[in-house]
Amino acid sequence: MAQRTVKPRTNLGPGFWPVTAFIVVVSAIMVYFTMTSGWPIGLIPAGEPAPATDELFRFLGSVAAVIFNIVTIYTIYFGIVFAKKKNAPPNAIGVQIHDAFVLEFWWTAIPTILIVILAIYSTKSWVDIQNTQGDVLTVEAIGYQFGYQFRYPRLAAPVSGAMHLPLNTPTTIHVTSRDVIHGFWIPEMRIKADMVPGLINTLRVTPTVAGTYPIICTEFCGIAHGGMKTTVIVESQQAFGKWFAQQGGAHANTSTTAAIPLSAGSADTGKTLFGQKCSACHSTGPFSQKLVGPGLGQIFNDAGHPKLVNGADPTPQNVASILKNGYQGDIGVMPSAQVNAISNTDIANLVAYLASLSKK
Amino acid sequence: MATLAPGVKTGPYHAVLDHIHPEPTGFIRKYIFSIDAKVIGIQYMITGGLFFLIAGLLAEIIRAQLLTPNGAVVTAATYNSIYSMHGSAMVWMVVIPLVTGGFGNFVMPLQIGARDVAFPWLNLAAFWMFPVAGVILFSSFLFGAPDAGWTEYPPVSLQGPPGTSMWCVAIFLIGISSTLTGINFMVTIFKMRAPGMTLTRMPLFVWGQFATAALMFIATTALAGALLALFLERTFGVPFYDPKHGGSPLLWQHMFWFYSHPAVYIMILPVFGIISEVLPTFSRKPIFGYKMIAFSTVAIALLGFSVWAHHMFTSGMVPWLQLPFMIITMVIAIPTGVKIFSWMATLWGGSIHWTTPMLFATGFLITFTCGGLTGFFLAAVPLDYHEHGTYFVVAHLHYVLYGGSMMGLFAGLYYWWPKMTGRMYNEVLGYWHFWLSFVAFNGTFMPMHWLGLMGMPRRVATYDPQFQFWNVFASISAFVLAASMLICIYNLGMSLRRGKLAGPNPWGARTLEWMISSPPPYYNYKRIPAVLAAPYDFGNPLPYIGLDAAPGAEEAAAISESHPVPTY
Repeated sequence: MAQRTVKPRTNLGPGFWPVTAFIVVVSAIMVYFTMTSGWPIGLIPAGEPAPATDELFRFLGSVAAVIFNIVTIYTIYFGIVFAKKKNAPPNAIGVQIHDAFVLEFWWTAIPTILIVILAIYSTKSWVDIQNTQGDVLTVEAIGYQFGYQFRYPRLAAPVSGAMHLPLNTPTTIHVTSRDVIHGFWIPEMRIKADMVPGLINTLRVTPTVAGTYPIICTEFCGIAHGGMKTTVIVESQQAFGKWFAQQGGAHANTSTTAAIPLSAGSADTGKTLFGQKCSACHSTGPFSQKLVGPGLGQIFNDAGHPKLVNGADPTPQNVASILKNGYQGDIGVMPSAQVNAISNTDIANLVAYLASLSKK
Repeated sequence: MATLAPGVKTGPYHAVLDHIHPEPTGFIRKYIFSIDAKVIGIQYMITGGLFFLIAGLLAEIIRAQLLTPNGAVVTAATYNSIYSMHGSAMVWMVVIPLVTGGFGNFVMPLQIGARDVAFPWLNLAAFWMFPVAGVILFSSFLFGAPDAGWTEYPPVSLQGPPGTSMWCVAIFLIGISSTLTGINFMVTIFKMRAPGMTLTRMPLFVWGQFATAALMFIATTALAGALLALFLERTFGVPFYDPKHGGSPLLWQHMFWFYSHPAVYIMILPVFGIISEVLPTFSRKPIFGYKMIAFSTVAIALLGFSVWAHHMFTSGMVPWLQLPFMIITMVIAIPTGVKIFSWMATLWGGSIHWTTPMLFATGFLITFTCGGLTGFFLAAVPLDYHEHGTYFVVAHLHYVLYGGSMMGLFAGLYYWWPKMTGRMYNEVLGYWHFWLSFVAFNGTFMPMHWLGLMGMPRRVATYDPQFQFWNVFASISAFVLAASMLICIYNLGMSLRRGKLAGPNPWGARTLEWMISSPPPYYNYKRIPAVLAAPYDFGNPLPYIGLDAAPGAEEAAAISESHPVPTY
């Protein structure tokens, strides 16, 4: 008859299981609180992608609360019950164990699985943010010491002061800087990008709650960094349209179907237009004289750069095509004619102007 | 059998050791330009301690300024210089020199049973670059101190005051010092361990020093290159970073963080070592999972090289590149978690002596875990888009740097204080120091988490009025934190004057440094002991042979050949 051997249960110490139960209860309360309250962000989500970001925050917060409770409460508990007893001999020693393979395996394996889950969740959330819709409206935000300017399609002059965005409109914000690195942060929308001179970073957002929210600089940019902020006013489409009309918008014909009348281009008109539309990012010097994009003064006859940025030959048609369609470069974006609010006639004038520069 | 060189005195062991390892007699050779690693270690601690007080004072000015939204204490320009100098000094002039040069020099050679580090003269050179660099850094206040934060991102740092160039020089110099110390420690740990001390018998503090030495040796060169380029651009206009002249501002960020992320581990791995010494000693238990702790140290050091761009998620890089940096950053949580759980398991079932170092080590467990968890929030790219550049980051970095490195440093300071000075400190004052600083530290930095999440950016001299309550809360806590440091200074000062004599081993610890007198004699060990096992088996006989015996003359000569000692 087989003798059943009973493995002696490891004595985990007085009160171990009640303390474990306490950890479970406290963790459950904290997870419930984290999942249901907006704390500690404490700001309304005023647009996509803020709700997705908050959801990830709450999930991570719950996991962190559980881990925090396990470490803190067990540490304090061990510290109390395993403190040297008053009547213990001076040479009293603890339990002499060096390791426990099963325990170590699990406390490596469970965090690993947890991290795989968190990494997948974060990646999914990241993909959602990258795929946030934009491009119905495209705005450029330009930082300088110490303020912001905004450029809207079909507005000749940049807007200083508050930025205006229409409700429920997928918006792309291209941010860059004129001098040093600035930050562009709308806390209520959980979006942020550095404004780096010579580089265009892209944010996509769909404002969903009307209101006025701060835009804050988050990269140290000089003596008045602490005061570098402005506001974004999210308003109805009608209110936005009215504001936009006051700024002098909506004049250019941006028909996309008509052929570009290249031969009718006027270099003089193009020169004026270049000053309004292009000179913020492009100089009229050689290629290497970069502002945000390359210098365009020798675009048609630069021996060092025999091809255009998209690999095409530098013919007037191909230059016009980039002006028309824009170009996504390795580090920056050339906006399209629609975004830049230039008509086919404007394109012809610009090409004529660039050609006149290259002949000099 | 080695034969004695002609002229070697025979006789009592100390006469022999005096000959092969003579102690300098003059004050300058003994205490100023000493090549004894123990003296150099203490020199590092005194210098780093002074810089800690200065940089801490700067922190108090920061907190005083932030008592009111409009910051009445100093002007914005002065404020920018003060917080930049606070950060630079704390990282390069306090924590890095203390964890490596300070504790590394004093403790590591003793723990491996060596008489000194491998290159004592190099050690001397490395140390003296440190006060020189510190003086250059702090004297930049006379010429307009750097004002763009400890990260000094160009192009704004190109516009910075003249002191910014001095900052470059000072950090370059301390970088050379770090690199030399890294080489020195790696060679020492590889070549000068006592017979029988295999890699897995090394105390865990030595493992931490080894991984750190490798990090310092490899990573610091990237910083040196970046600093040189910044200096050249500021001084001679060589366009590395300014996009107006074809430079790239992101080049600096990549170079800077390629060093400064491993630097985070330079600042914490030796502290992991300190914790791994203090916990088993006062729990009277072997460290739980020795191998896992040692291997996770190496794993963290390796992974630490491939996560730097997580500081740059909003800076602008190819979007998909953010994912690998995010995931590798998260993976570092695994070896770190293994350590935390192993330390908790070391407490379990112990016979815990609640001394001051033990309190600091346990406090470290809790605060460092908080810092690690908030690190996870910053690693997740979508959350970083919200948190980057805010007070949330300030809270996180102080939880790992103060709640991690400084708590561990205080644990180490109280733990090895009797070994360094031969005298005990006052435990009651030690308790006060711990409890006051632990509560005040959390009061200072915990509110910064939600300040940042609710929209307060970092590095600002003024802020919006709705943030005032928690800023005042943090400031008052910071003043209490400063007061707790006064208790520490008073306690250690009194200990030097009239502390109880400690004897060789007041804690009942088992690593080698506790086997010899306190403070240790100049040559450390009369005879280099042989090591039979890892040091942490309480209840077993000590695993060392030959500690008490005095070597005969011939044996001493053999020792001098097998364990090279400095020659003058």
